[in-house]
Amino acid sequence: MSDQILMDKAKASLGDRVVEITNPAPRRIFIRVKVDDLLAAVGWLKNEMGFTHLATISGVDLGQAFEVLYHFANNFTCVNIRTEIPRDNPLLPSICELIPGAILYERELQDMFGIVVQNIPDTRPLLLPDGWPAGNYPLRKDWKYERPPEVIPGGKK
Amino acid sequence: MRFQIPIGPQHPALKEPISLRMTVEGEIIRDADIRLGYNHRGLEKLAEQKTWIQNIYLTERICGICSHSHTTCYVQGVEKLMELEPPKRGLYIRTLVAELERIHSHLLWLGVAGHEAGFDSFFMYTWRDREIVMDILEIICGNRVHYGINTIGGVRRDLDEQQVKHILDSLAILRQRSEYYQHLGTNEPSFVARLAGVGYLSREDAIALCAVGPTLRASGVPMDVRKDDPYAVYDEVPFEVCTADTCDVLGRTVVRIKELFQCYNIIEYLLKNLPSGPVAVRAPRRAKPNEVVSRYEAPRGENIHYIKSNGTDKPERLKVRAPTLGNYAATIKMLKNGFIADVPLIFAAIDPCICCAERAVSLVDARSGQEKIISMNSLKTLSLKVSAGKARKREAEWPL
Repeated sequence: MSDQILMDKAKASLGDRVVEITNPAPRRIFIRVKVDDLLAAVGWLKNEMGFTHLATISGVDLGQAFEVLYHFANNFTCVNIRTEIPRDNPLLPSICELIPGAILYERELQDMFGIVVQNIPDTRPLLLPDGWPAGNYPLRKDWKYERPPEVIPGGKK
Repeated sequence: MRFQIPIGPQHPALKEPISLRMTVEGEIIRDADIRLGYNHRGLEKLAEQKTWIQNIYLTERICGICSHSHTTCYVQGVEKLMELEPPKRGLYIRTLVAELERIHSHLLWLGVAGHEAGFDSFFMYTWRDREIVMDILEIICGNRVHYGINTIGGVRRDLDEQQVKHILDSLAILRQRSEYYQHLGTNEPSFVARLAGVGYLSREDAIALCAVGPTLRASGVPMDVRKDDPYAVYDEVPFEVCTADTCDVLGRTVVRIKELFQCYNIIEYLLKNLPSGPVAVRAPRRAKPNEVVSRYEAPRGENIHYIKSNGTDKPERLKVRAPTLGNYAATIKMLKNGFIADVPLIFAAIDPCICCAERAVSLVDARSGQEKIISMNSLKTLSLKVSAGKARKREAEWPL
């Protein structure tokens, strides 16, 4: 299946739901959808196009919004579905119903960006330690790490 | 009664810190849970503060075994961002190192699998022969682990005639040894009996849980980035995608041994058709605002980097997904309903020393599901209290 055929099918099946579709390099297709249409787009890709392999989910901090990219791949090409969610209300639907293997990537998104994934089967933190202060999301651009001052137990003599 | 047994994060048998929680009923694992983050080094955040060149050496340090995988994945993405066309000879050398790395990783894995299956002479043989590959890598790159051969726009070192001859000579020995391992790994009855049927992962589960690499291919799914999405020079090199349909640890062993032979063929082809010319082109310091998805078939599976540039000499975002993370969800599935004794084989790197794992056990009441963690001392007190007044062992009747 060539990239062009897939792009035509995407336009035909998803219609207005596709905001933008680009093909910047061979075997790389980027589809932009609204967050409300995300599940429909992923469902179409999985059930009708047979893209069952989710490579990963990337989050990007754009300042006012978060961009989330779902990288899918099959034996012929690599399709990337992207969507944007506002920073002050970062709600994202979970795709675990469709792709059970997405769970670790969604948990990582919650840890690193503070994105709230709705209906996620497992809400526990994945990477951050237990005593991590709430509201600190390391991969947000405004988060800076400050090394705590070193304290020698018992004081320095 | 169900018990939860924690293994790790610090455990003498674990090579790296990871926390596993097994809910067991007798010898059978009913549930497994993985907790990550003990080795999280914040590399993605750090990469945003380093220049394009510095990040090559940073990504190299993501992993000590597939160090070349991460740099290649990163470098070929950055080359697309900078619109560079690396010379053919550079790409050939890059692929050569990649395949040598695959050989050393697969030989290492075979040894660990043999060790965990209680076949230690296999482990010693494969690791002895792995030294041949490590020596080749040292001759080409100057290093054994972090090769430092990739650079944006090509590779840093060239090959000469003497090195090519040395590699071809060593390859003949390796090929001969691997034939012996293939025979041993698939015919030695006790070894095969230990591996067959362990860690079953059906084809449907492997696809649904997004497994990658030899784990996926051993479940009968022919997916290999080198074939599906050819990078470097894989579109001109003849090779086959190796699969197995037994869906267990034996299948994973067979896939890796088969891949070893493919690696030898690929390396021979690369060395015999090595084009002449320069090995690298000059790279600019900055990249225009753009984004790229770079995929690479590491020895353990698909490696993917998402790189976004913003016009400066530093990346806006570098997302790395290493193959092992992709396989965790499938590992949990494999562990479920297996035996505790199979945990080391399924994880292939974790020692079965579970009893000495930690001093705290959590007891889950099977009826109420209530969970509490108590120390070994209070468990002892509890057991004394429960057994007080009961018949002592020597007076008890033998149950069988």
